Amino acid sequence: MYVGIDAGASATKALVVDKEGNIVSYAIVPSGINFKLSFQKALNEALEKSNLNAKDILYTVSTGYGRALVKAESTSSEIMCISRGVKRLFPSVRTIIDVGGQDSKAIRIDKKGQVLNFVMNDKCAAGTGRFLEVMSGVLEKPIEELSKLHFKSSRPTKISSTCTVFAETEVISYISKGSKIADVIAGLHEAIAERIYNMSSIIGFEKDVVFTGGVAKNKGFVDALSRKIGLSPILPEEPQIICAYGAALAAVKKHEGF
Amino acid sequence: MCPQKRERILQTTRKIGDLIIEYFSKAWDSQAQNKPIAWITVFTPVELLRALDIYPVAPEHYGAMCSARGFILNYLEEAERRGYSQNLCSYSRCCLGYVLSGMNGIMPPPDFLVTFRNSCDVYVKWWQSLHRHLEVPLFVGEAPYVLTLEDLENYVLDYVIKQLEQLIGMAEEKFGLKFDMERLVNAVKLSDEASKLWLETLKLRKAKPCPLGGRDSASDIFPLVVMQGTEEAVKFYEELYGEVQEKVSRNEGIIENEKFRLLFDGIWPWHAFDLIKYFEDKGAVFVYEPYSEAWGYRLNPSKPLESIARKVLAMGLNIDIDLRIEKFLKHIKEFQIDGAVLFSNRSCKTWSAPQLVTAEVLNRKFEVPFLLFEADMADPRQYSEAQIKNRVDAFLEVLGEI
Repeated sequence: MYVGIDAGASATKALVVDKEGNIVSYAIVPSGINFKLSFQKALNEALEKSNLNAKDILYTVSTGYGRALVKAESTSSEIMCISRGVKRLFPSVRTIIDVGGQDSKAIRIDKKGQVLNFVMNDKCAAGTGRFLEVMSGVLEKPIEELSKLHFKSSRPTKISSTCTVFAETEVISYISKGSKIADVIAGLHEAIAERIYNMSSIIGFEKDVVFTGGVAKNKGFVDALSRKIGLSPILPEEPQIICAYGAALAAVKKHEGF
Repeated sequence: MCPQKRERILQTTRKIGDLIIEYFSKAWDSQAQNKPIAWITVFTPVELLRALDIYPVAPEHYGAMCSARGFILNYLEEAERRGYSQNLCSYSRCCLGYVLSGMNGIMPPPDFLVTFRNSCDVYVKWWQSLHRHLEVPLFVGEAPYVLTLEDLENYVLDYVIKQLEQLIGMAEEKFGLKFDMERLVNAVKLSDEASKLWLETLKLRKAKPCPLGGRDSASDIFPLVVMQGTEEAVKFYEELYGEVQEKVSRNEGIIENEKFRLLFDGIWPWHAFDLIKYFEDKGAVFVYEPYSEAWGYRLNPSKPLESIARKVLAMGLNIDIDLRIEKFLKHIKEFQIDGAVLFSNRSCKTWSAPQLVTAEVLNRKFEVPFLLFEADMADPRQYSEAQIKNRVDAFLEVLGEI
């Protein structure tokens, strides 16, 4: 068996594949401040699910912010891992939009799944999962509820600030003026979608487009971004594990290479 | 490739530190002899000041130096405490902070403030602020934006020549100096010689492996920033050219195992030279930078004033974006460039704003992948190391797959 670990800024994902690259099991745990601990937890969970133990693992590839801190035979960047995962699952895709806890990325790949180019958000939390996490705290609504409330909005408020801290102030002032929470939430989704749309426009939106990363689980955000781009994206069943899947595929490839 | 402890740097580049110290110590000597010191913005005609026996120093260079040596924060914070916004250019904040904290550094206080609004829009207000704080004579020149190359020949050129004459007149009147045409011709000759050598040296980077890296080109521009028109500058570039040519003939690169040849667009992040090393440790070498090339400008000693006026107009960012892009795109093939690193600089809007146009052309026309990162040239607080290095890893991995 082969393992891909994606030690992301907010969640650590462990995924097990067989030598054909089929997904056997996976686990997603919060990263916390100790990458080593969350790595162990995610890995154990994934192994348990498939009744495997550590000695069944032939090769591990790690990716994500904490990739150097976890135990793995080699590392690979998120860009390559996401592209590899997408290529295997959705060969028709040419544009990947990945929104994670601390980064958002747009990646253009060719027919063979090779990365032609990519862009990432600038050094700022706006346009990432962190933005929504902060806002979910401000609004006292769990992150899972943001999606539901999004679709109850009739008139999204306009969040004009691109800075997370300023946007927080803006949200508080909307709420104090009596705006509906659903409208504010829809406004936040619009704001983050707008930012990602602008960033990704640099590389274009060649069809098919796929959304990956934890934030793609938020239907409100998916709705806002799809409307901006003007086409409906492919949505993986579990968008958060695509990067770990790509790492696991890399593990198979690396091991075969030896 | 294993990381190396030391930076990869040419022998000649190692002499830059001493050259800078010597340059500043001569400035103090000059002041002791009652010769005026001018604070200039970097695309001001230094050759003309030499002909007037005025000693030029450039606060922008001082800012870069403070940043590279790790003591810029004192100045930045002093300026911020006095109300200068963090959104202002970090060179200007450093300079104002230096002035407001009593000028206790190696840059001597000015007797004269000279600027030309050519590549940068902040210059005028920055120099006016200095003028208010320091109360020494101020000259502000205005160089219209060059839209077509004809602007370098028509009334625009005459307009700048007139202003150079005004500058001469003002210096003579305020400081009782005598303009010396012979000295000007000599300064122009030496300046042209240094530029020529520098531009020739840069061309040698077409060689594979590349003999001169980013860490060299970032340092080696110094003599063309404030030392134009001196024998020392010419001597430095002669030596540099010689060393680089040697390396080419020995087929020796600045890094051991060259895998990727990169273009760097922007001013260097002076506080983060470590980043250049990070690229090099992974087999990526910078072979071409529009910034490095911008410092070389050929002059014609038989038409000194006209020639300087043209330089004031056409240097740096004062020329149309299409002209600028055209100039460096033709290098993509010649320098065998695999990828481009674009540094979006919070301080320098003039440089950063057109970068997306550049990126698009690079990518669409030449299929050169690019990496865009955001930070500040001098303010280390705007730099997110882990995030940027993470991107560098991904970028180089992508280049490796292509």
